[in-house]
Amino acid sequence: MTDTVGGVILIGPWQLATATLFVVFVGVLSIRLSLGITKDLAIATVRTYVQLLALGFVLRLVFGIDSPWLVVGLVLLMVLAAARILVKRSPDAPPGIFGSAFVSMALTGFLITFSVTGVIIQVEPWYLPQYVIPLAGMVIGNSMNGIALALERMFADLDRREDEVLALTALGATPWEAAHPAIRDALRAGLIPTINSMAAAGIVFIPGMMSGQILAGADPVTATGYQIVVMLMVAAATALGSVMALVLTYRRRFSADGVFLEKGFRDDAR
Amino acid sequence: MAQTALLVARDLVALLRVDGRNARVLDGVSLALAPGSIADITGPSGSGKTTLLRALARLLPEVTGSLTLGSVPAENITPTAWRAAVALLPQKPAIFSGSVAENLRVPWTLKERHGQQPPTDEVLAAALVSVGLDDVALDRDAARLSVGQQARVALLRVLLTGPRVLLLDEPDAALDDASSDAVGALLRDFVEAGGAIARVRHHRSDGLATQRYVLEGGTLDALPAGVPEPEFGEVSL
Repeated sequence: MTDTVGGVILIGPWQLATATLFVVFVGVLSIRLSLGITKDLAIATVRTYVQLLALGFVLRLVFGIDSPWLVVGLVLLMVLAAARILVKRSPDAPPGIFGSAFVSMALTGFLITFSVTGVIIQVEPWYLPQYVIPLAGMVIGNSMNGIALALERMFADLDRREDEVLALTALGATPWEAAHPAIRDALRAGLIPTINSMAAAGIVFIPGMMSGQILAGADPVTATGYQIVVMLMVAAATALGSVMALVLTYRRRFSADGVFLEKGFRDDAR
Repeated sequence: MAQTALLVARDLVALLRVDGRNARVLDGVSLALAPGSIADITGPSGSGKTTLLRALARLLPEVTGSLTLGSVPAENITPTAWRAAVALLPQKPAIFSGSVAENLRVPWTLKERHGQQPPTDEVLAAALVSVGLDDVALDRDAARLSVGQQARVALLRVLLTGPRVLLLDEPDAALDDASSDAVGALLRDFVEAGGAIARVRHHRSDGLATQRYVLEGGTLDALPAGVPEPEFGEVSL
């Protein structure tokens, strides 16, 4: 009944259909109880199928072609998508921060991913897609969440603290000094989810990468090593990316003369 | 007077976005403050009194006109140095997390005063006494002070930095009469030592002003001596 490849039990159409049945059941429940999530659930289920199947085929293709340009291009594409999501998730940020978001994501994404594959794991060749692409995905995806949180927090905080910012500026503070309390709090806010998941890892849950490796037949202790590397690099990428994004963008809320642009002084309606 | 003036503003024009439209809040305002002068500025609510103080402190984006401090044009003074010398005290006192002493020493944590010694505990304690805060300990959590106490701490924080010009936005809005008198005495000392003050005030007069102005319709008009200030029916909160 079940096929295996290298010790891994294959998921075929029948298995997928069975799993989908559970979602259908939830959908029926939602209609009966008027929970109003049927449509969202249906769309999310379809998206999961389409996006992950597409990803699977793309990765199979990329692994087969074995070109460094393709791997770097794919990572760049991930960075681009992450930067777009970042900007969308920061409604309180001034317009025009896409460039800064992209630079922060790109620098941390490439630096951390290739440090791990090149220095720690030492894959051969350096662009080996089986390692680079999943690791880049984890670094970029997780740090994107932290950076988005930090950015949104900083700009919302600056607005909330505009009296404090004005008082500091009036005392002779530079924009950096006036914004510093907001920047510091934003950095902390962006890092908290990562720190929390580091603290709970292994006690509350088995982290994703480790689960995957164990399911794929790896020795749990071997999987532990990978998981630790991944968690540390996600923390480093989030911290580095957040610092960079905050430093590159905070000045946009100040005039050339160093005055905080309160809502009444902004050209944009944001 | 123009030769001896400490702070001179000429033709200040400020556009502010009010309800989606551009309003000329300041429409060619000129003002000269000589050492020893206290200028009171009154005017109806929303007439731009706060905007004027912010323009004088170079804390207003997109303002045109000229400003000089001790006959040095504003362009030759960095914005942070200008604000350290022409110190604005916003109406809403900003209190930072930490003790009263930490709040009073915030200015010395800034690059602008790098290398300057922050005031000692003795100096700070004496300053608190001078505004009637005898019972406030330096290590008290500043967030736990009353609004009136916070307003005086914020005023002291500015005064202790030794600015040349003080811009006060309704300095006694939150003060009772006794504290108001103590603050008044402090301001008199400040101008007697060669400083100059511009205050946004309501109708309550304390007899300290050497010049009085009314800001209305974007223009600033001097009130001749002896003419009582018009009542604008504002309520201090």
